[in-house]
Amino acid sequence: MAATVPAQRAMTTAREPAGRRPRHLTWGRVGVYVFLIFSALFFLLPLWIMLLTSVKTMDEIRLGNILALPTEFTIQPWIAAWSEACTGLTCEGISVGFWNSIRILIPSVILSILIGALNGYALCFWRVRGADLLFAILLIGAFIPYQVFLYPLVRLFSTVGIYNSLPGIVAVHVIFGMPIMTLLFRNFYSSLPRELFNAARVDGGGFLTIFWRVMLPMSTPMLIVATILQVTGIWNDFILGLTFAGRDNLPMTVQLNNIVNSVQGERLYNVDMAATVLTGLVPLVVYFVSGRWFVRGIAAGAVKG
Amino acid sequence: MRALRSLLMHGAAGVVIAAGLAQSAAAQEAEVIHWWTSGGESAAVKVFAEQFEEAGGTWVDNAVAGGVNARTAGINRIVGGDPPTAMQFNTGLQFDEVVGNGFLRDLEDVAAAGNWRDVLPEAIIKATTRENKFYAVPVNIHGQSWLWYNNEVLEQAGVEPPSTYEEMLEVGPKLKDAGVVPMAFSGEPNWERFLFNSVMLAEGGSDLYLDVLGNKNIEAVQGEDFRKVAETFGELRDLVDEGSPGRKWNDATNMVITGQAAMQVMGDWAKGEFIAAGMTAGEEYGCTILGGDDKGGYMMGGDVFVFPQTDDPAEQEAQEKLAELMMAPETQIEFNKKKGSVPVRLDVDVSSMDICAQKGMAALRDPERQIPSDNFLTSPDMYGSLQDVITEYWNTPSMDVETFVENYASAMEAAS
Amino acid sequence: MAIALPLPARRRRLSRRLPVMLALVPAAFAVIVVYLGCMLWTVRLSFTSSRMLPILDFVGLEQYARLFGNARFLISVQNVVIFGALFMLGCLVLGFLLAVFIDQRVRAEGALRTIYLYPHALSFIVTGLVWQWFLNPTLGLQKLVQDAGWASFTFDWLVNREMVIYTLVIAGVWQSAGLIMAILLAGLRGVDEDLWKASRVDGIPTWRVYVSVVLPILKPMLITSTVLLAIAVVKVYDLVVAMTNGGPGTASEVPAKFVMDHLFERANVGLATACATIMLVTVIAVLAPWFYAQYGPAKRRA
Repeated sequence: MAATVPAQRAMTTAREPAGRRPRHLTWGRVGVYVFLIFSALFFLLPLWIMLLTSVKTMDEIRLGNILALPTEFTIQPWIAAWSEACTGLTCEGISVGFWNSIRILIPSVILSILIGALNGYALCFWRVRGADLLFAILLIGAFIPYQVFLYPLVRLFSTVGIYNSLPGIVAVHVIFGMPIMTLLFRNFYSSLPRELFNAARVDGGGFLTIFWRVMLPMSTPMLIVATILQVTGIWNDFILGLTFAGRDNLPMTVQLNNIVNSVQGERLYNVDMAATVLTGLVPLVVYFVSGRWFVRGIAAGAVKG
Repeated sequence: MRALRSLLMHGAAGVVIAAGLAQSAAAQEAEVIHWWTSGGESAAVKVFAEQFEEAGGTWVDNAVAGGVNARTAGINRIVGGDPPTAMQFNTGLQFDEVVGNGFLRDLEDVAAAGNWRDVLPEAIIKATTRENKFYAVPVNIHGQSWLWYNNEVLEQAGVEPPSTYEEMLEVGPKLKDAGVVPMAFSGEPNWERFLFNSVMLAEGGSDLYLDVLGNKNIEAVQGEDFRKVAETFGELRDLVDEGSPGRKWNDATNMVITGQAAMQVMGDWAKGEFIAAGMTAGEEYGCTILGGDDKGGYMMGGDVFVFPQTDDPAEQEAQEKLAELMMAPETQIEFNKKKGSVPVRLDVDVSSMDICAQKGMAALRDPERQIPSDNFLTSPDMYGSLQDVITEYWNTPSMDVETFVENYASAMEAAS
Repeated sequence: MAIALPLPARRRRLSRRLPVMLALVPAAFAVIVVYLGCMLWTVRLSFTSSRMLPILDFVGLEQYARLFGNARFLISVQNVVIFGALFMLGCLVLGFLLAVFIDQRVRAEGALRTIYLYPHALSFIVTGLVWQWFLNPTLGLQKLVQDAGWASFTFDWLVNREMVIYTLVIAGVWQSAGLIMAILLAGLRGVDEDLWKASRVDGIPTWRVYVSVVLPILKPMLITSTVLLAIAVVKVYDLVVAMTNGGPGTASEVPAKFVMDHLFERANVGLATACATIMLVTVIAVLAPWFYAQYGPAKRRA
């Protein structure tokens, strides 16, 4: 494996965009900034409305001026969303489910990404009969709304005994995340030079060793994208958690749904907005933190000669 | 059977027998799945929970907002072998299959002990019994065909509160001149269906309504009276503003509350929004049963609780206790005060409830005016198909009445 | 000197294959038991008269006949095609442009990247409501511009049966373009620095570099993005429910919503599974040729 070590190091070295920032403002650069700023405004608009609404009183919201600044500023909706809003008999806001969501999130994200990466690696570099058919069925299955699968899965899980349990919900997330994770990693590995793999094989590496010591470390950008996808999908999931997690493990999204989705009850929009932003904070933090790894990159063509 | 065995295991695990107190059945645990999650609904559920705790039980709350979500969650639990103690449905045909598959226990004993058959309206009894046995305990009656209006707005425009759709169409232009939206409307398909049914009941009369929805009589659909109903319904389009499609019902009620609109046709849960805005019935806002307070049919909806089969005696006891207390007169009054609906028993004294509830109760005392809503009479599939036709008609002003009537008739036939 | 004799061929293949096969066991389980099993179950149910709970009878093609005579279903198919084409195009183009421009060593890159990505993080039930408010003529953009003095401005797409599908595209692109940007940025950052320098030395204009050099390198990421977007299009549900609930009328109906409504609310599992089966068949028909071209024997790397 000695020959691959320098290659590895070259690849995981931070590849900051090199060179100084261009100092002169060419029209090209102005254009770039204009585009980025206008896009940013488009993206920020709903958030602005949400934040404004979340600090107004209901009386003001009823008047319907969604872009007006609040005349009476209040953070009460945020406190209510976290710890006081009614979600059924209990009125303790969304904080109730926070730790449950974490307990579901961490094993599910780690397992689904690992298995996806493993699948992608196996499919890309190793010829196994029937594996491509497996992959095809996996991809096709991803297109079906998973609510259709609920009933048979409930029966299956209860027969096996993991219905309404933490292992059950983790298994569900792994299963439903598998198509996209496998696709992500398979396509990524196929863009890497085959010589890398061949060199590692020549060095005597086996299936798992190559994966663990060569491929996985090189997958940083994809691991980040996969993490973003899975954290968002699993954290914001509602139906699967409701059906498979069991009453003691209900995620935060169940409380969020209870606050936001009441059919015949009165709706407190300021609390709804605050609750939504609070729930979205975890994925947002992940996005922000992951930024560091977007700077690093691997030079796909780093291995020369 | 494996399912029953696991049922038993889960049932046993669910009973709260604190370590040591093996014999005492004093604290039974009851897990209840329901969809009441807003502030007002939560206060209502608390009435049940507190009563249950006073009777020695422990209420384990499992609230899931969105009726569909809650029912699906509950059914999945039953199917998965881990049923809750009780779960909520709407009054009507919704839980037919759950009974049909033998998932529920009957409540004949409790019903007999409580004289349910004597105190409940006929339509409610029909909706909660199957093969003459009670399978559900009804807890309220929601009136669905109410007109809510802002007194100040009507005064300023110089009009009297209307009580029929004809009257509404008459005062429409005056209200527009005064600068307000005559009817605040939430343009979602199910509210369009509600509105149509309300027009059919209030303008077409209860005979036509029951013939069409109850007997699924195609000839009645193709008749003159139905056609007139469809025309009136179409004319109501003039009373709504252009922003109505997609609007949530709360936003429409807010328009009435803030005076941007004069009135709204909505069920009695709209009271919750008025209360949240600090308004009092009869003062800032008024309520009228469409068709007239004294003769309009009272379109009944409501909620029931059903009890899944269980072999665990402690759980069975908890279920019986729940059913009993939910029907108790004092509980009925307290619960419905908070919920905005009216009690389901006709023999209670509602003088402590607000004037809208009292109007509703007075209407219910007359058996002729007890009109079941469409989900008592038709399957979800059928009223869903009719809804698709109605919403297309409402949103296509250029569609003529004949086409609508044709579509309605074919939808009814297809879904039979 | 002892020469290590090669193992008999069969044993050699097996010992090499074993870890691979073991690694693929979870996938095999998921595919065969869950995906294949549930898909077959779904197809089976489409031939029954199941209402709220499954009934295993056989009614032939009755549900399909009803499905294809159902106006709402036909509209939903039309809508998903229009929405799909525009949404995918919008996300890919905007995502690509954002990735390219952000890659130009701009200031505040971290902040910008989070701004473009955050819509993906928020639950669409509420963000959809916000879009509904903003696009509603009496509450949002139209009212704003009219109040500012331009009285004849109209933007009532949301309540217009012909135009409502485009409002869904706007909100959809808002939610997903950032994700595509992230995927493409990850790909861009993997492009070798030397490649940039080489192309600059040769005097090739930047845009040409992008089109002829970068796009081909980004091909795997573009394919991943396209597949992700396609999956989102076929399954689009939350977006429609939150913004328009299928309305006005049934103008913004989509197949996934049709399936969901009939599965739960309408208690008509037979019809819902018929629609799901049609979706399945369509996906297979579209995907199979592409899959063969992409991953088939001819394309296997040497």
